[in-house]
Amino acid sequence: MALPVILAAIAVVLLVRLGLRRRGQGRSSQLGGLTRGLRDRRLLGDTGLVAEREIRERVRGRVFRVLTVILFAVVAAAVVIPTIHTGSTTRQKVGVVAGSPALDEELQKLATTVGLPVELVREPDLSAARAALSAGGLTMVVDAGGTILVQNPLSDTDTSTGSRYVRAAVTALGAQQAFAQAGLTPQQAAAVAGGKPWPVESVHPGKGATTTGEATALLGVILIFVVLTQYLSWILMGVMEEKASRVIEVLLATVRPGQLLAGKVAGIGTVALMQAVSLVSFALVLAKVVGANLVQGAAPLVAAATLVWLVLGYAFYSWLYAAAGSLAERQDQVQSFALPLAAPLIFGYIASLTGVSSGSASLLVKVLAYLPPTAPFAMPTLVGFGEATWWQFLLSVVLSVVSTVLVALVAARVYRTAVLRTGGRVRLRELLPTLAK
Amino acid sequence: MAGLLEFDGLSRRFGTVTALDDLSFSVPSGQVVGFLGPNGAGKTTTMRAVFGLTDLDAGSVRWNGVTVGATQRRRFGYMPEERGLYPNMVVAEELEYLGRLHGMDRNSAAAATRQWLERLDVADRSASKVEALSHGNQQRVQLAAALVHDPEVLVLDEPLAGLDPAGIDAIGEVLVEQARSGRCVLFSSHQLDLVEDFCESVVIIDRGRLVTRGEVDELATGGARRLAVRVEGDRQGAWAQGIPGVTVSEVHGGEVRLVLDDSTDSDVVLEAARAAGRVTEFVFGRRRLSEVFREAVGR
Repeated sequence: MALPVILAAIAVVLLVRLGLRRRGQGRSSQLGGLTRGLRDRRLLGDTGLVAEREIRERVRGRVFRVLTVILFAVVAAAVVIPTIHTGSTTRQKVGVVAGSPALDEELQKLATTVGLPVELVREPDLSAARAALSAGGLTMVVDAGGTILVQNPLSDTDTSTGSRYVRAAVTALGAQQAFAQAGLTPQQAAAVAGGKPWPVESVHPGKGATTTGEATALLGVILIFVVLTQYLSWILMGVMEEKASRVIEVLLATVRPGQLLAGKVAGIGTVALMQAVSLVSFALVLAKVVGANLVQGAAPLVAAATLVWLVLGYAFYSWLYAAAGSLAERQDQVQSFALPLAAPLIFGYIASLTGVSSGSASLLVKVLAYLPPTAPFAMPTLVGFGEATWWQFLLSVVLSVVSTVLVALVAARVYRTAVLRTGGRVRLRELLPTLAK
Repeated sequence: MAGLLEFDGLSRRFGTVTALDDLSFSVPSGQVVGFLGPNGAGKTTTMRAVFGLTDLDAGSVRWNGVTVGATQRRRFGYMPEERGLYPNMVVAEELEYLGRLHGMDRNSAAAATRQWLERLDVADRSASKVEALSHGNQQRVQLAAALVHDPEVLVLDEPLAGLDPAGIDAIGEVLVEQARSGRCVLFSSHQLDLVEDFCESVVIIDRGRLVTRGEVDELATGGARRLAVRVEGDRQGAWAQGIPGVTVSEVHGGEVRLVLDDSTDSDVVLEAARAAGRVTEFVFGRRRLSEVFREAVGR
């Protein structure tokens, strides 16, 4: 299962190298003049320039900064709040009147079972204990004479640890008293009290406790959805705006459509990946610091799988969104593409979220994990459940990469043809003759 | 830097509309060549064809004998009809970016950007966003975008549209200067008379076909004699109707432009004018480009 980590590492290394080469080109071309610049021009040169502009303009924008702040805040909350919740159960003071070591032991044992840390406080008599309870110094009072005092009457619907402790104490101490009255020796009483409940078997599998892998998968799926939605809409709007402002004519007078498209996809994709990587790293480091269970068990693996599928999901959808953007030149025209494009994305997201919250990977999620439009959500979910073997993961990656190449080829043709057609929305039907050529 | 931009047999149909119909002409470097014709004549389609922005059904565009491709276009500058800049980019950064897309390195692009913004009097707006500029200033920046990489060929689609006289002069001056330094300058306009001042020669097209072409001086002095006459109290030129051998070519702002047959004496016209009122102008004039066009297409 180290494969996702390796794939993510490879993707990051490739991107970094791409960035370095781009920067390197900038440096080397600064040395020469125009002729040298022309001679040194490679395919990546124009694509790199376009990508560089996208990165610079996007990172500078207010939308990006606001979104980044919000995402970091949400991730911080998602990591820190659960740890605060588990640490918030403070030690409860339980007053004991006429107690004995056996009673103390029993009360501590119950506290461990219920999961409520208690501190036993000796009280000289019942009236003193009652006074301390009323004043709020104690949570409850156990009188060995056979009474338990609490501040407020217990409600049937109250399932807090405190009330569960009271109910457990009432039942256990009552039983102890009954055993003593029945004349059982302490050993016999212990044998009766220690009786194990019968195991219950259900016909249908129930929801197990959420594992750390699942919790991370949930966060990962949400992250993928938020990042994809945001950055794909940038592609859609970005392509449309270039067409609407007619800057496309100036650009295409010197750059090939394929280079312009690839540069835009790579530029916005780099921003998306940088943001996702920093968010995931931030989440892991923060989890380590506050001791959240996000960094335990399979969680880092799931985090790596999330990044891999973020890249693959972005790669698959970005071409589609770019092609759709090239068909429109107004905001209202773009709206008509938004839903059909987002439908598989939302479907994959909802299905995977439902999968995570139901506690087991449904057959639907298992199928969706191999379909390129939904795999970016379903496959990390399966990894979170520990239900994906390395070859299954790899198979899904290969399927996704192959279909991305096909989608990119068709989308690039649509883009090339549609982006220069102005005067209303271009209908796909009109493009068919050109596409068929 | 002598060169020749050749348009050879360009044809293009959009559905049932013929945009270009076997259009051929050439543009030598060192001259400002006006590319004229009414709206819908095919000027924009021709210019887009230079940059591969429209497919051609037939014909080709050549620069110095070589069919224009991506390599040649890097050394061309283009100003599209509907303009086109990223509205929310900073002026100087946008020009640098476009310069670099044409193969310049960062420093040369920055230097050329500064130079052109100063030359076009918009240096003080270099840090503004394009969308914050006035129409006239955006037009200047758009021209700078076509010039920033020091192109051999300048193709400008309606560069003067919507400009005030000062803007027209400023841009016209730059075009002349570019031609003088050996660039090939082709610019289009549907306002034929506006361009007489700084065009050496013109190519006039209509309905996708070549109407006429030649040096402005030649076209202006060619053809029949013509008179510009102004008669007080008759701004519509009713007095000139029905004079034998005289055709009313244009009436503009009270000035009546007349075309005289070879056999018609100008005294006849003068007498008719004096009979109508006080004559305040009576000048033998050059043929305007709009007249050249109208006479060539017969409407």
